[in-house]
Amino acid sequence: MPLSVSDPTWYPIASSEDLPFRHVYQGQLLGRELAVWRADDGNVNAWENRCLHRGVRLSIGINEGQELKCQYHGWRYANRSAGCTYIPAHPADAPARRIENRKYPVREAYGLIWSAANDDLPFTGFPGAEGGDWFALRPMPVNARPGDVVAGLAGLAPDDQPADVMQGLSVRLGNIVYFVQPVDADRAVIRGLLAGKPADPIATLRHYNEGLTKLRDRLEKAAARKPVPEKLSPIFEKVSADLASMPDIAIPRGATLPVVVKRKWQNADGVVSFELADRDGRHLPTFQPGAHIDLHLPNGLVRQYSLTNGPGDLMSYVIGVKQENASKGGSKVLVESVRAGDVMAISEPRNNFPLRRDAARTVLIAGGIGITPLLSMSRFLDQSRLPYELHYFTRSGESAAFSSELTALHGRVERHVGLARDAIRARVSQALGPYEFAHHVYICGPGAMLEMVQEVASGLGWPDEAVHFEYFQNDKIIDQSSAFDIELARSAMTLHVPAGKTILETMRDAGLTVPSSCEQGACGTCLTTVIEGEVDHQDVYLNKTEKASNSCMMTCVSRAKSGRLVLDI
Amino acid sequence: MTITLYDFELSGNCYKLRLMMNILNLAYEVVPVDFFPGREHKSDWFLRLNPFGQLPVLQDDGLTLSDSGAILAYLARKYDASGLWFPKDAAVTAEILRWHAIADDITATASAARLALGYDYDFDIDKTQKGAHRIFRIIDEHLWFGEKQGRDWLCSPAHPTTADIACFPYVMLSEEGGISRQDYPALRRWTDRVRRVPGFTVMSGIFPAGPAR
Repeated sequence: MPLSVSDPTWYPIASSEDLPFRHVYQGQLLGRELAVWRADDGNVNAWENRCLHRGVRLSIGINEGQELKCQYHGWRYANRSAGCTYIPAHPADAPARRIENRKYPVREAYGLIWSAANDDLPFTGFPGAEGGDWFALRPMPVNARPGDVVAGLAGLAPDDQPADVMQGLSVRLGNIVYFVQPVDADRAVIRGLLAGKPADPIATLRHYNEGLTKLRDRLEKAAARKPVPEKLSPIFEKVSADLASMPDIAIPRGATLPVVVKRKWQNADGVVSFELADRDGRHLPTFQPGAHIDLHLPNGLVRQYSLTNGPGDLMSYVIGVKQENASKGGSKVLVESVRAGDVMAISEPRNNFPLRRDAARTVLIAGGIGITPLLSMSRFLDQSRLPYELHYFTRSGESAAFSSELTALHGRVERHVGLARDAIRARVSQALGPYEFAHHVYICGPGAMLEMVQEVASGLGWPDEAVHFEYFQNDKIIDQSSAFDIELARSAMTLHVPAGKTILETMRDAGLTVPSSCEQGACGTCLTTVIEGEVDHQDVYLNKTEKASNSCMMTCVSRAKSGRLVLDI
Repeated sequence: MTITLYDFELSGNCYKLRLMMNILNLAYEVVPVDFFPGREHKSDWFLRLNPFGQLPVLQDDGLTLSDSGAILAYLARKYDASGLWFPKDAAVTAEILRWHAIADDITATASAARLALGYDYDFDIDKTQKGAHRIFRIIDEHLWFGEKQGRDWLCSPAHPTTADIACFPYVMLSEEGGISRQDYPALRRWTDRVRRVPGFTVMSGIFPAGPAR
C-alpha cells in the first residue's frame, strides 16, 4: 500500500528519552519535518520544524523551558499553543498574538512519543498495549521504504511462529512489538517495545541493537538495488491571512470565551486570586507579558484584570483581585459571589502594556495589586535570563500577594513594606537612578503612586518613552460639559457630540463598530489617531508627550477644546 | 609570551583551538590566513611555518605546532590545571587519541563535503556525505549507549576531553555539507552538552545552546 501524506494513523516519532528538558528533537513523519520538545511542565510539543519568519529550522532553536526561541531572529513561540509571543524590533513590541506555528497531535505513551499527520483519528495505542510494562529499544533509522522495512521485520520470525503484522506498520514478534515510523517514502525508523523490563537492560539493548543493525544493513543493500521512490510532498498551507495579520482594530466587544473558575483563594490580606481554565481542558490563547483580560461579571459589569502567568503557561490564567470596601461593584461581586466551579466569560488577552525585551536595564515598580502585570513581566524576563529589578511596595498590615511566586524568581526582587509616602519616593528615586540609554521602567499601582513615580523619573531625566505605566482605573472626574463636532475621515461622516455623551457613544449611535474596553480612559483599547483639532484629554493612559502631541486620544473619555476634531476612523 | 594562532575564521579545525583556549581562559593573538579564496595556506611564507600546508598553526614558547589534534593535546597538557581535558591515564589517553583520529575522519568526510558545496573544492560530494553518515551512525550508537551507562562524553564519564572538542565542530557544521543530523538523536544531544561547557565560544554556523535545567 503506498504511503499517503494524509494518513491519519498514529505513529511513534521519538522515544521519551529523546526529549530531555531544554532540548529540541528533530523528527519527521510522512515527509513533514517536526520540531519536538518537552516544556518544563512536562508537556510535549510537536510542531512544524520551521520558524514562521524565514523558515529557519526550530530544531536548532533554543528550548527555554516554556518558550522555544528561533536561533536566528529571536522569534519566540509558546509551549502548548505555538503562538508567537515575541518578534524582535516589531513595532510596539507586540506581535499579532494569534500568529501560531503549525502543531501536530502528540501523545506520550509506553516510553514513546506518538504523532499523526492530522487529528482525524483518536489515539488508541495498539492492541494489548494497556496494562503492559513496556521497555523501549534503541530506535534504528533505515534508508529503505517503510513497507519493505515491515516485510523485513516480519521475516525475522521463526517459521513455526509467524509474525503478526498489525495495523499502522507494526509487527508483533513474540514479546516484542516493532513499529515502523514512515519518515518519508524512502526512509523509516524501527521503534521496538519489549514487554517488561529485562533483568540486564544494557545487554538486552545491545542484543536487539545488533540484530536490528544487521537487518538494516540487509534492507539498505536491497534498497540500493531498487529505484528511488519519489519523496512524499506534503502541502504546507500558508498561515491564513486572518491569523498572520495584526488583530483587527475593531475587536467587536463581546467576543468572549467561556472559562471555569478552577480555584479561588485568599492570596494575601485583601487579595483574592482566581484561576481560570478552559472548560474542556484545552489551553487558553497565547498572551504577552503585561496583557489583561476583560472579565464579564455576574452583575453585567466588565472589568480588566492583568494576567500573572509566565511564558507558555496556558493551561489556566491566574489573576489577583483586590478586595475594596469602596468598590463600585466590580471586585466586590467577584470576591463575594463567584466560586470555584462557576463558568465566566472572558475576552482574549489584550496587551496595552507591552514589555520591551531589548532593554539594557529594566526596572519594575509595583504598588499593591499593581504587582500582577509586573509578576508576569518578571517571569518572562526570568525565563529569558534578562536582567531586571522588581520593587514591590505594599502598605503596612497588608501582606504581599503572590509571595511564593516572587520567591521563585531569579532576578533582583525587593519588597518594601509599610513605607511612608516620602520614604517610597526616596526609595523609588534610588531604584531608578539617573536615566541612561536603553533603560526602561514599568509601573503599575494606585494612581497617586503612578504619578509620583512618573514625576521622580522625569526629575531624574527619564524621557517619557522610557517610562511605561498602567493604571487600574481612572480616578479623575470626567468633565463631559463640552459639545463639539467630530469628522470621521475614513468613514466620511460628521457627527455632533453633545454635552453628557462620549465620542464613543456618539459613534456607536451612528452605527459604527469601534473597540473599547474599560470606558474610563485607563486601558488604551479605544486609542484613536487625531488628524486635526485640539483634544481635551481626560484619560490616564497616554503620557504627557503623547497628550501634548495632539495626535491621538481615547474616545471613551476625552473631548475637544476646539469646535471640531478630525479623527482617523 | 603570547600564544599566536594562524587562523581562518571559517575553519572548523582552527575553531577547535579557539574553543579550547577559550575554555582554558588563555589569551592569544590571531594571525588571519586567507584560506579561501586566497589559498594563503599554500603560500611560501606559510609553507615555511607548516610544510604540510594546513591550518591551524600555533606558536607558543618558541615552538611552532601544527595539526589541531596535536595542538589540543599540547594546550590541555600544558595549561589545563585540572588535568581533566587530557588525562594522564594510559587507557583514557589511548581512547582520546582514537577519537582524535575519528575527528580526522570526520574532517575527511563531513568537512570535505562542506568544502565541496561551499568553497568550490573538487571532492566527490556523494562519497564524502556517505562517509560522514557512516561515521555519525557509529558515534550516535556510542553516545546512545553512553547515556544509558551514565557517560555523557566520548571518552570519560563525567568530564569532556579534547576528543569532544576535536569531533564537535564538523559535526555541527555538517548541514553546510548537506549532511542532516536528523537520524542521530544522541549525537544531537551531545552537541547540546558541548555547547553548554563553560567557556564555550561560537563561530559562524555554530551557536550556543540555552542552559540546561
